[in-house]
Amino acid sequence: MIDDIANADTIPVLERLVQFAGQRHRLIVNNIANFDTPGYRPVDVSVESFRNQLGEAIDDRRGRRPDGKLNPIDSEQVEFLDDGMVLHADPIGENILFHDGNDRDLERTMQDLVENFMTFRTAAELLRSRMDIINSAIAERI
Amino acid sequence: MYGALDTSTSALVAQRTRLEISAANIANAQALTNAAGEYEPYRRRFPVFAAGDPATGSPNGVHVASIEIDQGPLVPRLEPGSPYADADGYVKYPNVNSVIENMNSLEASRAYEANIAAIEATKSMMSVALQILA
Repeated sequence: MIDDIANADTIPVLERLVQFAGQRHRLIVNNIANFDTPGYRPVDVSVESFRNQLGEAIDDRRGRRPDGKLNPIDSEQVEFLDDGMVLHADPIGENILFHDGNDRDLERTMQDLVENFMTFRTAAELLRSRMDIINSAIAERI
Repeated sequence: MYGALDTSTSALVAQRTRLEISAANIANAQALTNAAGEYEPYRRRFPVFAAGDPATGSPNGVHVASIEIDQGPLVPRLEPGSPYADADGYVKYPNVNSVIENMNSLEASRAYEANIAAIEATKSMMSVALQILA
């Protein structure tokens, strides 16, 4: 029964989103730390392709009855585990290369940091409200 | 997520080292003798950054791989009265350029701030994640 509750409606989707934002945060933080490292190329994963993966998994889940678990399919950059995910980041070479061989882009990196943080917060807040609902449901029964 | 804090902290350490080196360069911009009092004009120092953090053994983060001594030409000044003047009356002064040092320290403090912003984001994410359970 607990599995039914844990995998009900948006919870697994929000869980994946929190995991993704948490892992991507590490990549962005590392890019910021290496702003002045000669020869360093910033790395990132494609948010759009993750969004597509998640969307396909949601569609797949909707087609099944009962809903059950969310089964996202791995891509080259995002590998889903049962209790988390692993990101395989690639260099993003979009900016002009500096004299020291670094490809930093301060403004865009900071923008990514803030955007990713907002994504994390939104997903975590929604997840929290779901947990509150479960909590009050449990409280009613006791 | 604690790993993200390690990464940012390693960058804070590296940028602070860079700032300290700049400060030492500016402080020694006129230093003509070494600690033993012999004539040896100070040479500019500069840090070399490398990816990875040996302090935590993580491939993420950054560290100062080495501090190099700038072997660029010293700056001659005409000071015939000086005890260190050569045959033509020139004294060689340190190859420290205050414009470069100022720019470097400004860049280092901006990078420091960027990492502080990243740490703030990490901290907020941690507290939001904790609220899921509360």
